[in-house]
Amino acid sequence: MKLAVFVSDFKLTYDTLDRLKADKLGIIFVANGVYHATTKENGEASSLLNKTLNLYALSEDIQTRGMKDADVDKRVRVVNYSDVVDLIFNEYDKLAWI
Amino acid sequence: MGDVKLAFVVQKPQYKGETSRLAITHAIAYQTVEILLEDGDTVTPTLCFVGEGVLGLQKGQKAMDLYEVTSTETHLKNCLLVDLDVLVCKEDLAKYGISEDMMPDAEDMGADKKIKVAPFSEIQKAMEDAKHILFF
Repeated sequence: MKLAVFVSDFKLTYDTLDRLKADKLGIIFVANGVYHATTKENGEASSLLNKTLNLYALSEDIQTRGMKDADVDKRVRVVNYSDVVDLIFNEYDKLAWI
Repeated sequence: MGDVKLAFVVQKPQYKGETSRLAITHAIAYQTVEILLEDGDTVTPTLCFVGEGVLGLQKGQKAMDLYEVTSTETHLKNCLLVDLDVLVCKEDLAKYGISEDMMPDAEDMGADKKIKVAPFSEIQKAMEDAKHILFF
């Protein structure tokens, strides 16, 4: 199963994500989920960034919150809505939104 | 009744849900309440940001450009314009690496009031002084 998980919250997502298994797991940070990609807590990056190599963050939602694409952790690929559509149709079989 | 103090406490980030924004717009609305009060009665709100709530305070928000919704930054500026006390938790700003100069002011709109970075103890005091505490 190829699974893309939309993480739209900054917190309250770890328990569910930890239990999700997939041959190819992508994490797409959208809405307040983008803080995982941009913000360190007590100097520590989000542990979600270690969950998979396939990490994406939506540029529109980063900029909406007053941050810049350059603020994003190097492990995360910044994408726009068009890229997300491509990911959904070309890279993953199933989607989850948590 | 005298002066009724209200503490609006924002503990969630902005945009995904409506509630954290409602805290700001409700706090601003304190001015309209005056028409319902007796002479000499006042309502004084204090808007406080704690925990993840401080994440919504960065300036340069492009919400209008990208989603055609009013940005939290604009609402905050309006708060300052109507002389609302806005307290932001110093410890939580440090926790998320947000510096004071990353937050907006409303000087361009003519406001003298500024966001106040305050230790949690001061926010605690504002809550203790308030007749009603509203968490968002």
